[in-house]
Amino acid sequence: MSRMEVYSPEGLRMDGRRWNELRQFSCQTNTHPNASDGSSYVRQGNTVVLCLVKGPMDTNRATSTTRASADGPVLNINVSYPPFAGIERKKRSKNERRLSELSIVLERCFLKTIVLKNYARTVIEVNLTILSFDGGLLAACCNSITLALIDAGISLYDYVSAVSVGIYSETALLDLNSLEESDLSFVTVGVVGDSDKLNLIMCEDRLPLDKLERLINLGIQGCHQLRKLMNDTVKEVGVELLSKRQ
Amino acid sequence: MGLDYNISNNEQQFVLDALKENTRLDGRKLLDMRNVEIQIFPDEYGHVDVKLGKTEVACKISASIEQPYKDRPFEGLFQINTEISPMCSPFFEVSQGASGGTSSRQTSEEILISRMIEKSVRRSNALDLENLCLVAGSKCWSVRADLHFLNYDGNFIDASCIAVMTALLHFKRPDVEVSGDDIVVFDTKQRDPVPLSILHIPLCVTFNFYNPNGDEENIKGESNGELIVVDTNLIEERLSLGSMTITLNKNQEVCQLLKSGGLNIDASLIMNCCTYAAKIVSQLTDQIHRVLKEDEHKRINPTEQKELQTVNSREAS
Repeated sequence: MSRMEVYSPEGLRMDGRRWNELRQFSCQTNTHPNASDGSSYVRQGNTVVLCLVKGPMDTNRATSTTRASADGPVLNINVSYPPFAGIERKKRSKNERRLSELSIVLERCFLKTIVLKNYARTVIEVNLTILSFDGGLLAACCNSITLALIDAGISLYDYVSAVSVGIYSETALLDLNSLEESDLSFVTVGVVGDSDKLNLIMCEDRLPLDKLERLINLGIQGCHQLRKLMNDTVKEVGVELLSKRQ
Repeated sequence: MGLDYNISNNEQQFVLDALKENTRLDGRKLLDMRNVEIQIFPDEYGHVDVKLGKTEVACKISASIEQPYKDRPFEGLFQINTEISPMCSPFFEVSQGASGGTSSRQTSEEILISRMIEKSVRRSNALDLENLCLVAGSKCWSVRADLHFLNYDGNFIDASCIAVMTALLHFKRPDVEVSGDDIVVFDTKQRDPVPLSILHIPLCVTFNFYNPNGDEENIKGESNGELIVVDTNLIEERLSLGSMTITLNKNQEVCQLLKSGGLNIDASLIMNCCTYAAKIVSQLTDQIHRVLKEDEHKRINPTEQKELQTVNSREAS
């Protein structure tokens, strides 16, 4: 096998994309109508995430011991990363710090986007399962939660769409896969609706400060593309539902 | 949170109104840091106490010789231990997993604080781990930073990052001599101890966001009227509607950046925050270097220094 180039001089990436192209994105909603109130299946390239939402329900029914809050719902997000999801088969302990951080970040992300006042003293339980991992974990989780919440009929102000962006010398690359993620420093950007306002931004690698702006700009563009794709799917499902009812 | 911290409506209103007029309860402007006091304990290497207003954090570095991980035979070990006890504030509970491992009782804030420090200092390779290797695969230095949170008045992350970095820069490990598989560790009196090799100094700056126009305005509206505040104290931190922590070093590199949820902030405002953080970080780095230099001066023993001098002062006859 020849040496892999992250970004060739001709402007192509390892998987043949240009710098500003997303991976193939497909999503479905209501995949588990019996097991949950809302569910979604999101595929971004080879990253596949399944999300089940239960709720809003009253606090007694919730399994975990959480105190109800008077100003809004309690959002419980569990991320499970089964051993078969990654390249290597590896068991991960349930309270691995990285995963618990991921769920806290996601929780905070969505608490402001749900219309809080409608769900005081309730619990919304979100269960994420990563079926296959190929980069962009936080982004894929974010998108799948958005879709599942919409499917559950929970009122949101707008879509939260997220995407990862990496920097390769002077070029910003959109939506990295795991090979690229391990080579480049990257930022995950999350946007609410089609505004330029950031809900989520997360960077864990070293990265020159002057390149951050370029990354964020490309990220916002990517998020808007994703939002459009998700919106199309939701509308299709909606039209289908309506036609059945008549 | 062990206890809920309830702030009366009047007080909330007062703090928020003050913020709208670009002033705060302790007289600072929105973008002013509190005074950072760094105190180095004179008896030991790598024991530092940092005060940020009333917030107080102590950090102690220790080192021992251990076996490296099997998959990384050429690297030493580095561990940051953060356990927030109820000593600093009754909002934090005793975590049950004292015997090791993360306990499920740890609150989300505790997890975020410890992950943030871990990512800022450890993941960004501030400490050169390869330099800690003694005998590949069998012996290496294991450096451990123990953070003690002594008093909580907001902004633990910034204070603890300053504490860890100053302590690491100050710490000196005993000198060793390796011959084959044998290692001789020299006492500090026999040979001068060796400082750790620090590659860069990452420091955190936390911004908090407030909204004068209400939540819905933030999502639907076009205006970017959010207030941005640096280095919040406890009341301000409780009242804030979102925060962002950025870790930078003096070379203008972002080591870590996290804004999760909270108010949605325009990208241009975030960039402004980042450039402002770079300014603060370079000031703090200078301060840390200054404190370390002063400490080094204090440690020079005048009589010893005189004995070491090769040139004797001659009395004029």
